[in-house]
Amino acid sequence: MKARRRVAITGIGMVTPVGLDAPTTWVNLVAGKSGVDEIRGFDARGFPTRIGAEVKNFDPAHVIRDRKLLKFGSRAHGFALVAAEEAMKDAGLRPAPMTAARWGCAVGAGMMGVSFGEFQKVHAAAGADGEFHPDDLLDPEFPADPVGFCRSQTNAGLALLTRHFGIRGYATAVHTACASGGQAVGTALKVMRRGHADFMLAGGYDSMLNPIGLSAFCLLGALSVDNDAPTRASRPFDATRNGFVLGEGAGFLVLEDWSAARARGARIYAELAGDGNSLSSYRITDSHPSGDGPIQAMGQALADASMAPGDIDYVNAHGTSTLMNDRSECAALRVVLGDHIGRVAVSSTKSCMGHLIAAAGAVEVAVCALGIHHSIAPVNANLTKFDPACDVAIVRDQSRPLRIRGALSNSLGFGGSNSCLALRHPGEVAA
Amino acid sequence: MSSAHRILITGTGAVCGAGRTVESIWNLILSGKSAVAPVTQWDAQQWPVGVAAEVPASELHALVEDRRLQKMISRADLFGLYAAGEAIRESGLAAQRGTLEAPAAARFNDRSGVFAGSGGGTFRSTYEFFPLLTQAAGDLVAFGRDLETAVDPMWLLRQLPNNVVCHLGIRHGFRGTNACITNQCVGGAMAVAEAAAALRAGEADRAVAVGHDAPIEPETMLHYHNLGLLAPHALRPFDRSRAGTIFGEGAAAVMLETLASAQARGAPVLGELLGSGCVTEATGILDVLPDGEGLARAIELALDEAGVSPEEVGMVVAHGNGTQASDASEVAALRRVFGPAPPHVTSFKWALGHAIAASATLDLVMALRALQQGVVPGIATLDELDPALAPFPVSPNHQPLRRDLALICSRGFGGMNVALLLRAGSFRS
Repeated sequence: MKARRRVAITGIGMVTPVGLDAPTTWVNLVAGKSGVDEIRGFDARGFPTRIGAEVKNFDPAHVIRDRKLLKFGSRAHGFALVAAEEAMKDAGLRPAPMTAARWGCAVGAGMMGVSFGEFQKVHAAAGADGEFHPDDLLDPEFPADPVGFCRSQTNAGLALLTRHFGIRGYATAVHTACASGGQAVGTALKVMRRGHADFMLAGGYDSMLNPIGLSAFCLLGALSVDNDAPTRASRPFDATRNGFVLGEGAGFLVLEDWSAARARGARIYAELAGDGNSLSSYRITDSHPSGDGPIQAMGQALADASMAPGDIDYVNAHGTSTLMNDRSECAALRVVLGDHIGRVAVSSTKSCMGHLIAAAGAVEVAVCALGIHHSIAPVNANLTKFDPACDVAIVRDQSRPLRIRGALSNSLGFGGSNSCLALRHPGEVAA
Repeated sequence: MSSAHRILITGTGAVCGAGRTVESIWNLILSGKSAVAPVTQWDAQQWPVGVAAEVPASELHALVEDRRLQKMISRADLFGLYAAGEAIRESGLAAQRGTLEAPAAARFNDRSGVFAGSGGGTFRSTYEFFPLLTQAAGDLVAFGRDLETAVDPMWLLRQLPNNVVCHLGIRHGFRGTNACITNQCVGGAMAVAEAAAALRAGEADRAVAVGHDAPIEPETMLHYHNLGLLAPHALRPFDRSRAGTIFGEGAAAVMLETLASAQARGAPVLGELLGSGCVTEATGILDVLPDGEGLARAIELALDEAGVSPEEVGMVVAHGNGTQASDASEVAALRRVFGPAPPHVTSFKWALGHAIAASATLDLVMALRALQQGVVPGIATLDELDPALAPFPVSPNHQPLRRDLALICSRGFGGMNVALLLRAGSFRS
């Protein structure tokens, strides 16, 4: 069998609740600083949950000069464009006419296309009495907005990214709920390995912090209701955890061929070494208590990366801070890591930045790459009360200096899609 | 190509306005009739465009019998679960799995993937919040306070774009690699391409690939109309008088297997997926390049992957959505690849409507039928080929098939272009 192509992460960009770029996000994650606060983007005082992890003071026009392009984008698309721009700059690489067809793009896109403003307009025009009356949309007074419609399309963000950067090769948008970002990065890896692209822009973006998005999760009872202690609300693996905190943002990576990156003297954060992808086929919102599903994804990622549990020093857990996820994920970690369970550092950076839904997986792969690069395992904030069901080596109290030879990033979605990505320290790559 | 990399089709399933069996849909196309009719989901008599190819309401609940499940999924999900279920059923793999001991059966399931091209969210789902917003009279505090009494607690779960992946897994025990592709029109084509790539890379032994969508709703129709993309009465691809597309809906699926997986039970083989290509033209959301550059590249990538030359292609199933720009650039792309005399070209949207994320898998399943029957179906709504596009080998009449290899073109928002290459193969593996 032909040796598999090795893929390098050479660019990172992030827009998160704890920073408008990757360096700021990283510093704040390492410091354990929380991005959770009362929701300020709209009046959430009446909701059962009034807190969230919002991206603060965001203005994409500071980074993206193309005003017309931004007009066609939603808030989440703005996050994506800014994070992708940072990743490209960071890599020192952009598509050029000669390379454009060899650049691909894979994104984990959020599920909400319709903004609350558009929704209100349709309600006022065709549903003011609570019922929908289609004919009222035909009223010449109804402000049908073609730009709003374009923004609402499932691949609108992908279209804006490929246009903005001139990416003319393979392009895809995926959505498997909370696993979306991880699956997008995994897809990018596979596309490069099968030779369909030489460079990939891969990431995820989402913003569900609007009245409907917040409603959707409140209705499911999935969110923490610790409204009086926002910075403590997201506490993955803590015995008193009571739900996740809804966040928003974007994370992007530039991926390129390992030898090409070495040849041009690029800074390589890490090797994107393996992808695991499984389906729990259990229930829509619940994970199997035994960890079945995530176990297969983690096992595949290790095998795909030619790694063993002994090669792993850090796991960035999905760690949503819900009762069920954290327990089931720890069960899976115990099975997969075996004897190494007491040694491998585990943290959920959702403890600081909340749950970025379709963006989460991509942002967290980037966090793993930075952890490898800086030799730091970022802290799992807010863990004060030990839960025996989560008896794994959580990075408590503060971030820890740690040379990370290998890392895993888990993303486990509603609907049972499980994504696990394996990363390797550049120093561990045989020359 | 080595046998280890052969991707075989062992089952198909489809539902759309033309029927809910592959056979009935095929027969409608052959008869020259279209499933386009006045919209029934709402009274569209006043609408500038009031026609579409809908799945009849009477058929909806027969598609998935589990009543509890019907309430947990969307209209598009019903289609997807049904079509994929049919493809799995036809493949006969459940019987083989039934003979395995528990550990081998678990391994079988872990090596069975699910790939969906999903239309994603709808406008209509947000209308479930209308009573709450009315009651709150615009006050968000009241909106939040009354939320739990006014909206179904399971609302979000019905909107998940990945419901078909999830429920196919639960219903059929598939637990392997998976993807839910939300890339608008090309989603279904990419689901097939990604499933095939996963099998080639050894990530799974078999995978079901399905495209499903239900785009027929007032807001979507209104916006398409305002953008000048909808025809008022008939979809006439490549015709002088073409005026736009017409919506369809539904789903179609294929069961894909490696040769070894199919051989393990001597499964009947319906066809073989030879290659795929996927590119974007980087033109933003709506625009297409007039010279068909992206589609031509996608086709060339598919031919390359398959290792076949353009001369070997016996028929082209064009995207043929009936809009001015797309049809003209598609002709340009086919000329770039095939020269002045491409193989016979047909398309199916004139009969089935444009089912967006489901369109390419419907085309794929019908192309397989065409290869098996040795006929390139005519485009019955074609009155007069647009002289600006002539010569171009489309016809209102059926044409003979000269070679058993079909190219399927799928194009969509975002400058997306996907090509699939398919060979018929009626043999027992």
